[in-house]
Amino acid sequence: MSDSAIEFINVTYRIGNRALISDLNLAVHRGETLMLLGRSGSGKTTTLKLINRLLEHEEGKVLVDGRSNVEWDAIKLRRHIGFAIQEAGLFPHYTVRQNVALVPRLEGWDGSRIDARVKEVLRLVELPYDQFAERYPKELSGGQRQRVGLARALAADPPILLMDEPFGALDPITRAELQQEFAGLKKKLSKTVVFVTHDVTEALLLGDRIALMDSGTLKGIFTPLEFIRSTDKFVQPYISAFRAGLQILDSGA
Amino acid sequence: MSLPDFFVTHKREVLTLTAEHLWLVGVSMLLAIAIGVPLGILLSRRPAWRSLVLGASNIMQTIPSLALFGLLLPVPWLGSRADRLAILALTMYALLPVIRNTYVGIAGVDAPVREAAIGMGLTQRQLLWQVELPLASSVIIAGIRTATVITVGVATIAAAIGAGGLGEFIFRGLAMVDNNVILAGAIPAALMALSADLLLALVQRSLVRTHH
Amino acid sequence: MDRRSFLAALALLMTGCVPRPSGLSIGSKNFTEQLVLGELLAQYLGQSTSLPIEKRFYLAGSYICHQALLAGRIDMYVEYTGTALVAILKQPPSFDHAAVFNQVKNLYAQRFGLEVLPSLGFENTFAMVMRGNDARRLKLKTLSDVAAVAPQLRLGVGYEFLERPDGYPGLAAKYGLKFAEAPRVMDLGLLYRALQNNQVDMVAGSNTDGLIAALDLVVLEDNLHYFPPYDAVPIVRRQLLERHPEVAAALHRLSGRISVDDMRRMNYAVDGGKKDAAVVVREFLEQARNKNLL
Repeated sequence: MSDSAIEFINVTYRIGNRALISDLNLAVHRGETLMLLGRSGSGKTTTLKLINRLLEHEEGKVLVDGRSNVEWDAIKLRRHIGFAIQEAGLFPHYTVRQNVALVPRLEGWDGSRIDARVKEVLRLVELPYDQFAERYPKELSGGQRQRVGLARALAADPPILLMDEPFGALDPITRAELQQEFAGLKKKLSKTVVFVTHDVTEALLLGDRIALMDSGTLKGIFTPLEFIRSTDKFVQPYISAFRAGLQILDSGA
Repeated sequence: MSLPDFFVTHKREVLTLTAEHLWLVGVSMLLAIAIGVPLGILLSRRPAWRSLVLGASNIMQTIPSLALFGLLLPVPWLGSRADRLAILALTMYALLPVIRNTYVGIAGVDAPVREAAIGMGLTQRQLLWQVELPLASSVIIAGIRTATVITVGVATIAAAIGAGGLGEFIFRGLAMVDNNVILAGAIPAALMALSADLLLALVQRSLVRTHH
Repeated sequence: MDRRSFLAALALLMTGCVPRPSGLSIGSKNFTEQLVLGELLAQYLGQSTSLPIEKRFYLAGSYICHQALLAGRIDMYVEYTGTALVAILKQPPSFDHAAVFNQVKNLYAQRFGLEVLPSLGFENTFAMVMRGNDARRLKLKTLSDVAAVAPQLRLGVGYEFLERPDGYPGLAAKYGLKFAEAPRVMDLGLLYRALQNNQVDMVAGSNTDGLIAALDLVVLEDNLHYFPPYDAVPIVRRQLLERHPEVAAALHRLSGRISVDDMRRMNYAVDGGKKDAAVVVREFLEQARNKNLL
C-alpha cells in the first residue's frame, strides 16, 4: 500500500443525481507518471480535482501518501501537491519571479533559499532568469506561460504533481516542444505525476501507464505498449485515430 | 460686487463651509468603505445573500435625498443632531456603488487564476488579500469614485436640514436672491466633486497599470 | 490598527470634531427681523469686545439654527421663548412670560448645555391690528373690548393663522368673537394693504411688523393672554461665555434695550425704506449711544 502515492477506493462523486465518477478504484504508483486519458465528460479532470480536494468526494476514500485526504489539512495537502492547469492561471499582478516564488513564500522559506530555487526551477523549464524573472504574464507567449505555470508547480519541490491538460491550449508546434521537454524533465525529477489529457500522442509519449476513462468509469490501465496493442473496444477509437503517427513513435522510442 | 471679489472678501466663510463639507463627505465615505467593502467581499463568498444586500442598497439609493433626511429626523439619537443624520444618509447613498463594485471586482477575477490559487494551497484569507483584492482594486476604486461624487452632491442638500456645508451658501443665496452667494456654494462644491473624481481616476489608472 | 479601535475612531468622528474658527459666530433665521437682530448682536459685540465676528445668517428656521448651535457652527442666535418652548423643547404652551422664560432657560441648560439670556426687550407675537382711527373712535384697547363690536368688523388673516388650533379658532373661542362674516384669507404680504384700503377692518399680523408704526395702526391687547409669550432672547453656547465672559456682560447690557417700537421702526426701515440692515442697525446703535442707553 505504501507504494501507492495516491489511491482511489470505491470513489463516487455526484452532482445532484448525476454521478460524474462511479465507483472508481485506482492506484498511482510512487514515482510513476500516470496519464488520465478520456474524451470530454469522461470524468478525468474530476478525478484529478478529487485528489487535492478542489472537489470533495462523499463516497469512498481517496488516499494520499497512505492517509485519507479528508484527514489531511486541506491547505497542507495542496501545498504538498504541485498543480498546473491548462490556462496556467498565473497571477496577472505578479511577475514571473513572484508567481514562481508563491508557495515557497507561503511556506516561509527564507529569501535566499527562495531566490535560489526560483532560478533553479526557471532553468529547468528553460526560461533564462535574467530575461524572464521581472516580466508580467501578459508579456509572455502561451508556451512561456505554461512553462512558468510548471515552474510554479515545481517550486516547493512537492512529491506529487497534478497536471490538467497543461499543453491543451497551445499550438501544435509549441505543444510538441513542451511535451518533449517534459518527457526529459520527468526523468530528472522523481515525482509522482497524474496527468490529464485527451491527446493520445501525449499519453503515449509521457505516460508510464495510461488510465482510460469513459463516462465516469475506469475502462482499463495500460502501459503505452499494451495500449497500442490492445483490442479493448474502448481503446480502438484512439488507435484508429492514431494509426498514422505510430511510425513516428516507433522511430523515436 | 464681482464674483472673484466676493470670494476674496468672504474667504474665511468659504473655507469654513468647505471644511464642513469635506468633513461630511469624508466621514461618510470612510464609513461606506468600511461597511461596503467587507459586505462586497461577503457577497462574493455567499451568493445567496446577493439579491438581499444589493436589493436593499438599491432601495436606499432610490429614496430621494431630501425625503430620506425627512424620514430620519424622528429617529432618536440620530435625528437629534443634523450632522449625524446627514452622515448616516450620505453613507447610505454611498453604499451601493461600493458594495456592488467590490462584489463585481472580486467575481471578475479570472476563474483559472482562482482555481490555480486554491489548488496551490492559498487559504481563503490569502486568496482574498493576495489575489482577489489586488486584482479587484481598480474596479473597487471606480465604485468609490462614483460614490464620492454622489456624496459631494447630496451633501449640499444636507444644509437644508442644518448640517452645514457648502449647501448653506446656496440656500442662503436663494433666500437673499443673490447670485454671488449661490455661486460661492455651488462652485466650490462642483470643484470638490471634480477634483475627487480626477484624483480617484488617477489612482484607478495606476492600479490598472500594475495589476493587469 | 486593529478593527475595534478603528471602529471607535469612526464613531468618534461622527460626533463632530471639526476645527472651528476662533472668534464669535452669530446666526440668524431668514426674515427681516432676524437679520436686523443678527446685525445688532454682530455690531454691538464687535464694538464691545475685541473678538472677530462671523455672521452666519439666513438659516432657514429654528431647527436649523438650533442644530448649528449644538454643533458649534454658530455661537448664538436670537430665538423667541414660545417657539423654543413648543417647537424645540416640545413642551405644551403656557402663558406666563416669566414662567415660560424660566422653563426655557432651565431646560436649555439641562438638555443642551446652552445659556438663555434675558429678553432683548420685546416679544414678536401674533397681533390683532386695526386702523388707528377706528380703534380710537370705537374706544377699543383690548381684545375683550372688541367682542362687543365684532359683528361690525371684517377680519383678514393668513392661511396659517386660520388653520392653526392656537390661531383663529382658539382666539375666537377665548374672546367670544363673532365677526360679520368668515375671515378673509389672503397672502401675508397683502394683509396690511387690505387694511389700509378698507377691505378689512382687522388683520392678524405680527406685533413687530414695520408697517404698524408707519401706517398709524393699533395693536389690540391680548388681555386674556391667549397667545403664548414670544420674548426675543439670545441663546448662547456655554463654552463661548466661559471662554469670553466679556460677551456675557455685553449681552446683559443689551437686555431690555430694544422696545417693540424700536423693532417696528427698524423692520420698516429695511422692508419699507429698503435700507440695508447693517446701516439701520448702525444708526440705531449710534442713537442709543447718544442717549447713553448703551
